[in-house]
Amino acid sequence: MEFSPENPLTAEPEIETAHAEEFVEQLRCVTDTLPSRINIDAKSVEEGLAKLVLTLIEFIRRLLEKQAVRRMEGGDLSPEQIEELGLALMKLEGKLQELKTQFGLSDEDLNLDLGPIGRLI
Amino acid sequence: MKLYAHCLIEDLDAFDTSTRGISGAAVRLLQIDELAVLVTDFNADTVAVTRENALDHASVVRSVLDRTTPLPFRFGTLVTEQQLRSYISARKPALQTRFAHVRGCVEMSVKIIREVSEDKAEARDEITSGTSFLEEKRRELLGSEQKTIEASEIRTWLHDHVDGLIRDEQVTTRPSEKLVLAAAHLVERAKIPQYKERMAAARKNRPELHFLFSGPWPPYSFANIELEFKTQFGVS
Repeated sequence: MEFSPENPLTAEPEIETAHAEEFVEQLRCVTDTLPSRINIDAKSVEEGLAKLVLTLIEFIRRLLEKQAVRRMEGGDLSPEQIEELGLALMKLEGKLQELKTQFGLSDEDLNLDLGPIGRLI
Repeated sequence: MKLYAHCLIEDLDAFDTSTRGISGAAVRLLQIDELAVLVTDFNADTVAVTRENALDHASVVRSVLDRTTPLPFRFGTLVTEQQLRSYISARKPALQTRFAHVRGCVEMSVKIIREVSEDKAEARDEITSGTSFLEEKRRELLGSEQKTIEASEIRTWLHDHVDGLIRDEQVTTRPSEKLVLAAAHLVERAKIPQYKERMAAARKNRPELHFLFSGPWPPYSFANIELEFKTQFGVS
């Protein structure tokens, strides 16, 4: 046994906060982004596939945006090239938004938990 | 017949037999070598992920916490007795090392919320060209990097407050979220009053942050036995 009478410990956990509602709301947000179990049935497979593909596109799109910003900051792009690159990325963002609407998906549906580097969106 | 495995324990010959597991099933102590597992008999192939079942699982694991430090299995671990025996026999040294790590400790949890500014929506209306689009993205990235720096500072600050009091910690930061940090601290039971005092002092130092402290919990964040189990038997 690990416990002695002079070292008692109640097994009942205590929760202490002055902001309970705020934490409940935030913890619900976290659990909503946890991966759910894959349900492979005829009805959901199309939506699931669209979600997967669009999530990957969103991931790549954000990487491209970051790379474009880095190149802009690095000074190795002319103003025309910056404008062209920005327009291309803006159109890509618009197109992705269109596809999300088409499949009834929200930004949060395409979110990914990337571990220590945070979430995609 | 399968067994629902709640947790591994050591140094426990008996327990409260009135304890009930998932769906009210009687919990029994299955002795395997020098260790034991709290199990219930289970007839189905899967465990429904419900609030009641999760609470039942937690209740069984917690029922022994005042006498020993258990290694909780992941919720939903269903195995045969043979699988359980093979697992424990094959993994005994690793399990004993894990027990040595958590022995005499409990898990204390800290969650921190900070306010984050949401200025993105206002700026989006002004975007009319490719250049302004990239400028806006640049502002977003700079804001994101600043949040990462702030989250890292909070992590270091919290660690400094518990340094010397904890045996181990698992910390997750989410720089872009309001819930910016979630930490699990493995604390020796004798040090809990001191730990609570330090946390109270920490809270006073940072009135701009909102805190949630909880515990003592079984060492869920430090057990890490489900992956070993999965690897060996393909059970989840």
